[in-house]
Amino acid sequence: MTVINKEKCTGCKICQIYCTVDAIHYADGKCYIDQDRCTECYVCLRQKVCPRGAIEPVELDNFYKQFQHVMSDPVENHGVTGVTGRGTEEVKTNDVSGRVKRGEVGIAIDMGRPGMGVYLRDAEKVAMAIVRAGAKLAPAEHTPLAALMPDLSTGKLVDECHHYHLLSVIVEAKCREDQLKDVLQALQQVEKEIETVFSLGLIMRVDEKGQNKTLKVLDELGIPQPHRGKVNVGLGRPLCTE
Amino acid sequence: MTHSLHRSGDIESQKKDFNWFMYQTKGVNDKNIKPKALEFIAAAEAVGSENWGDVKTGPITQYSVEEIKERISDKSRIRGVFTRREQVVEFLKRIKEKDLGQSVVITGVLSEVLPACEEAGVTPHSINYSLGVWGKKDNLPDDVTLSITTMCGHHMIPPKFVKHIMEQVEKGRLTAEQGAIKLANFCYCGIFNQVRCADIIQKNIKK
Repeated sequence: MTVINKEKCTGCKICQIYCTVDAIHYADGKCYIDQDRCTECYVCLRQKVCPRGAIEPVELDNFYKQFQHVMSDPVENHGVTGVTGRGTEEVKTNDVSGRVKRGEVGIAIDMGRPGMGVYLRDAEKVAMAIVRAGAKLAPAEHTPLAALMPDLSTGKLVDECHHYHLLSVIVEAKCREDQLKDVLQALQQVEKEIETVFSLGLIMRVDEKGQNKTLKVLDELGIPQPHRGKVNVGLGRPLCTE
Repeated sequence: MTHSLHRSGDIESQKKDFNWFMYQTKGVNDKNIKPKALEFIAAAEAVGSENWGDVKTGPITQYSVEEIKERISDKSRIRGVFTRREQVVEFLKRIKEKDLGQSVVITGVLSEVLPACEEAGVTPHSINYSLGVWGKKDNLPDDVTLSITTMCGHHMIPPKFVKHIMEQVEKGRLTAEQGAIKLANFCYCGIFNQVRCADIIQKNIKK
């Protein structure tokens, strides 16, 4: 938990412009942190923004607070996946890991991004929606959010985590190429039911020209074709050819 | 983490914005990565990577190159920025020739990145395609602010700080380049394109 020490705070409000999610408020001559909204990203601490040193960390005393911090602060490594940031591999090492093979689509739903943050209850809604459409959620050894899911076949999160606010967290899953339309339609529905945003990435094996015909399904659903991509150029070894 | 994928803003501006990455795969090639990381850095420096860093230390806009190199460990993630397609081509040629076995990713506008791959003689294996932002977009910051904040995909750059910097530039207290460096320092990974950022600030401040 991050707090503002009222004894030290002079109410100058400098810290407010440094909060990534507008969680620093002002009342009665002092600034304070909205604990429901703070994501423990530690930007205010790391940038040493308070000239009086009034912003102080308090021990993160339960698993969910620690999870919240690790997901919101890219400097931290996730304990299971060993990856910094939000702890997922997605396309980065697919040339070696072969996590997404030909005929499959990796789905990376970057909840709360850009910049709005996400309450885990909204991440649950999205996870459950794509599971119902046929997607299989990534297991805990691949993606951090699974640690909060007792049953990956439903996507439901443990109730205790619902009110935690994270800067972002990725709902990661896979489906077959022929299931992609159903999954995208589920996302088109659930996007109307959440209080935040998400950025969507689809991970696919591609031909030597960097193309995959599965993207044609986007035209059927009125979704613009992507102009940006994260291209794994196949230099990792041993190379996965599946 | 998909932190370089979902950048926004004017397409022509995005065409001057590439990210390069070296990745180790857990349990396969994730031990003693420092010599390989130094080879990647050497290739990036040789072609003039405008920004680069290691999330475990920070970007070259804030830390010395020597310090970042010194602190590279097996938990490091080495990545950076190019502003021209020619740099991507030359970088990929050099890394391919070294045959280091680490995964290499280039993020950017596909109409720029894919021809660069072809020219460099590398074959795309997989792509993470950006399908943009979904959901309740009413409360998002304005497009100019987003075009800057999304250059740090972990969203370490507060939208209000972007406005503050733009006001400082408008008042003549900072140049656009100085403001861009201040913003770049929030992105620990070193993938923030401060050159593009300065251009965005210059084009959008009240004259």
